[in-house]
Amino acid sequence: MLNKIPKWNLTLFILIVVEMIVFGMMNPRFWNVTILLNSFNDFVAIAIIGFFVTLVVITGGIDISGVSIIGLTSVITGLLSQVVGINIWVSIICAILVGGLCGFLNGVLIAYGRVQAMIITLGGMLLYSGIAIVLVGVSDVSTYEGISGFSEGFSWIANGEVMGIPNAVILFIIMFIIAYILLHRTKYGRYIYLTGINQNTAEYSGIDTKKIITSTYVLSGLSAGIAGVVLTSYLGSARSDYGAEYLMPILTVVVLGGTLITGGKGGVVGTALASIILGFMQIGLQMAGVSTQYIGLATGGLLIVSVAFLGINPDFRFNVKRIITQKQNNGG
Amino acid sequence: MTRFSKIIKQREFRTFIFLILLFVVVGFINTDYLSLQNIDKSLKSSLIYIVLTVGMTFVLLTGNLDISIGGTLGLSAAVCGTILRDGGNIFLAVLAAIGIGAFIGLINGFGLIKLKISSFIMTLALLSITRVVQVIYTDGKWVENIPANVKELSKIDIFGVNLLSIIVIVGVIFAQVYLSKNSKGRYYTAIGDNVDGAISLGIPVKRYIAYSFVISGICASLAGLIFVSQIGFVSTNAGVGIELTVIAACVLGGVSLAGGIGTVVGAALGAIILTSINSALVFMKVPAFWNDTISGALLIIIVVIDALLAFNANKKAKKVRLNARVLQKEA
Repeated sequence: MLNKIPKWNLTLFILIVVEMIVFGMMNPRFWNVTILLNSFNDFVAIAIIGFFVTLVVITGGIDISGVSIIGLTSVITGLLSQVVGINIWVSIICAILVGGLCGFLNGVLIAYGRVQAMIITLGGMLLYSGIAIVLVGVSDVSTYEGISGFSEGFSWIANGEVMGIPNAVILFIIMFIIAYILLHRTKYGRYIYLTGINQNTAEYSGIDTKKIITSTYVLSGLSAGIAGVVLTSYLGSARSDYGAEYLMPILTVVVLGGTLITGGKGGVVGTALASIILGFMQIGLQMAGVSTQYIGLATGGLLIVSVAFLGINPDFRFNVKRIITQKQNNGG
Repeated sequence: MTRFSKIIKQREFRTFIFLILLFVVVGFINTDYLSLQNIDKSLKSSLIYIVLTVGMTFVLLTGNLDISIGGTLGLSAAVCGTILRDGGNIFLAVLAAIGIGAFIGLINGFGLIKLKISSFIMTLALLSITRVVQVIYTDGKWVENIPANVKELSKIDIFGVNLLSIIVIVGVIFAQVYLSKNSKGRYYTAIGDNVDGAISLGIPVKRYIAYSFVISGICASLAGLIFVSQIGFVSTNAGVGIELTVIAACVLGGVSLAGGIGTVVGAALGAIILTSINSALVFMKVPAFWNDTISGALLIIIVVIDALLAFNANKKAKKVRLNARVLQKEA
């Protein structure tokens, strides 16, 4: 049973347990289940995007435009529902679709235009956040305060709870399951891996790799749209600068989750565990009285250590294997 | 004549034409934009970006990426700011900046070469670490009250041209000559173009990759020094997100993220374009919030056009090669 679970995910899980013990000892309130479950609110947006950016990274690309799609969808939700006066649920769907459209633009240019993913999504990042700012500027809404006055039903999305479980946790689980099934249980998921391992080979074996790559960006855009709506609901106002500082955490979560930045290897489970680690670390450090500004030190260190020493790096694993087998040979 | 047509064909020339076009079009709408004073001003405001792009180009040429420059800029600005504020010598500040940049570059290089981490992740991690170190160093406060004579440094004019601008332009030319004419300087392009080939040629690839990061770090911290002198105070989020703008500027100037293609001059032109758009909007009386939209759209359009041109050129070259082969067989 145990050896069926990938080793890296096991390590991540142990890391979560260690984190809980350490932070719990610093401040016993950390062991309070309600507080822990509510802390999901703070990182659910990062996790949602992380799940689908994982798919993009597995195909060998990267998507950094998600951070500004958050702001764009937030603004669109606010404008459509509060300024234009459309039904809130319809405007949510419109906003998420706009997120998907942004992802589609990225994907088409990357897959069919043969441009590096990093550049296009960088341009997209500027463009989408720019559009969000323009929308705010044109519609004469205060940039600083944002658009507020949402209905209670809308704020229930992120702040409500079902049977004692906060909605954020439920959202986290739902998005995780969708991503998991897509990536690990369908033919589509196998195609994503094959595209990432070797695009030419995949192309020759009859996979429409361009379509696959485009679709991952669309999914990533849609997820960023959902994250934007969730954040708007959680914070109660629509602003264009939401998610601006999420770039680091999203990439950290994906890489820490064991997904190779060069593509072809990784999984959603690791991303989910890594996002929980990151989220709990933030809460734990806050409870232990450490300023949130110092979290970068922990995540940066964690990133380097995990990639360098803890088995994500294929070279290192190869070395370890060689050392171990040598020892066995000597012993026998 | 051949030399002239050679220049026209270069990617940098297209960037330059675009810059001229930008100035002419905006100049038609508002003639003040073409005044020498404004051109001097746009150059001055893009100095930080130019210095950063020079360092970034070295790294990009080898096929790597340096995202940590924003953090390096912030940290060095904070350290130099405090040194200058407490009455330190300007040369001491320059030395401190170079030391910080070289140190961060060395750590980056170490991670890349010894720990075999991809440059993107390594520099991303260092970006967040340097930001925290800056906060710890400054105790979360702004560095203010920088003496006036430091601020004056950025305003010294020689023959009507800003002194710092002259230094930076000379630096850009120097870097360009080093990269394109010096045999050691050509190593950077060679590594990015074909690593295996570079190893076979006997180029110390690892050492030169480390050098590129050290150069980038030093450039970033010198940009931090310029930041102190031009802005006059250092907030805790000095240079946040600047790394992405710098990468965008490099790409606009024709530097390839895949490595091996690009020049320092082109990257510097890209930096000037990106900052000129800013002031152009002011002169055209367009609200400043259009800035990001235009920069982003511009970046995407130029990059896609570039990719299409390259694709067509490739196709043509393939056709020519095929024809040659067929002719050979027939003969």
